[in-house]
Amino acid sequence: MTQQHRISSAFAVKHVARTVRVSSLSSLFVVAALSVACGAANPPKELLDARAAYTRVASGPAKDLAPAELDTAKQSLGRAEGSFQEDGDSPRTRDLAYIAERRTLQADAQAGIIQAERDREQVDKDLKKAQLATIDKTRAELDSERRAKEASTLEAKQSKADLEKEKKAREEAEKRAAAAMASLAEVAKVKEESRGVVITLSGAVLFATGKSELLPIAREKLTEVARAVKDQGFKEIVVEGHTDAQGSAIKNEALSLARAESVRSHLVGQGIPPDKIRATGLGSNRPVAENTTAEGRANNRRVEIVVSPLK
Amino acid sequence: MSKPVISASWGAVGLLLIGCGGAAVPQDQLSTAQAALKGAEVAGAAEDPKAALHLKLAREGLDRAKALISDDRNEEAASAIDRAQADADLAIVLSKEARAKKEAADTREQVEELKSRIVK
Repeated sequence: MTQQHRISSAFAVKHVARTVRVSSLSSLFVVAALSVACGAANPPKELLDARAAYTRVASGPAKDLAPAELDTAKQSLGRAEGSFQEDGDSPRTRDLAYIAERRTLQADAQAGIIQAERDREQVDKDLKKAQLATIDKTRAELDSERRAKEASTLEAKQSKADLEKEKKAREEAEKRAAAAMASLAEVAKVKEESRGVVITLSGAVLFATGKSELLPIAREKLTEVARAVKDQGFKEIVVEGHTDAQGSAIKNEALSLARAESVRSHLVGQGIPPDKIRATGLGSNRPVAENTTAEGRANNRRVEIVVSPLK
Repeated sequence: MSKPVISASWGAVGLLLIGCGGAAVPQDQLSTAQAALKGAEVAGAAEDPKAALHLKLAREGLDRAKALISDDRNEEAASAIDRAQADADLAIVLSKEARAKKEAADTREQVEELKSRIVK
């Protein structure tokens, strides 16, 4: 409905009203004019809007989701239509139509609320599911992290244990070697030379004068030497017999060799492999002291066990 | 003046009052509509475009109604108040709808975020 229309119909009503006062005869005409005005009056914009809104909303979700509100809107529109039927395009009709349109939109919005709440319920379920899945995932991650940590700790422990074991073994070996050296030092003079470890046993301890048979005490000492040498490990052993410079060189060499052989065979008897030990008689060729004094000669009468170490 | 005459003239006065002075001040209607407007403001109608439009219409309608009342145009004021009431009511429901939709959307976003994290 245009503004033009509204003005002209309002004018018509006023005009008719004046006519009523002028002549009662024209009252019939007045009624006719009024009814014409009503029938002919186009519905106001408010009513058109309300109808359009209602048509749209009533066919939408409000029908199912907000039936009560939609019914309120329907009644509201009904009042506007009724007013339009009775009074035509009156301010009251416009007010009622204006209100009806808003009631209709309200029903639509109410349906929107219900729909959103339903969506929300579904989404809440999804959220709970997703949260549980997240928790599961986090737990799984933590588990695998923990397992990895445990595994690495175990590995560390194992390697630590291995190291520990190795260290202990090494320490024991060192201790054993030290003990062997110490026990050797008790019975003999032990010297490290470039040719190996040289164990020097005094001839007085080992043999009676001019004899090559080991004295009982010598056997004991050599048994200890054998144990120490076995503990240490070795490549080869050379048993050297030495004498002082008294007597003939041939005799001395023969005696020194015989004594070295005695020592060798005793050591073999104590478990030294025979192919790794040999004996040699050097006579008085390699003195370690002067042969002019008794003490010097005593020092020269000796057996040296040369142990070449394992490389 | 006889008694009937007096009562008749009083009656005329009464009629005049109704006719000329028009309707009484629609104070109750105004209060109710003002409460609805307040409710729409509290509901956050200003934050949703659709609701904000009707909040504005309601506010303007009530301002107009007050002006009309001070001009003694109470009937027109009542009409403006009726409309303002409808706008305020609508604004409330529209802001509720907007909030409900936003909450659903926010939750959905949260779900999507969680899901994307699970996939990773």
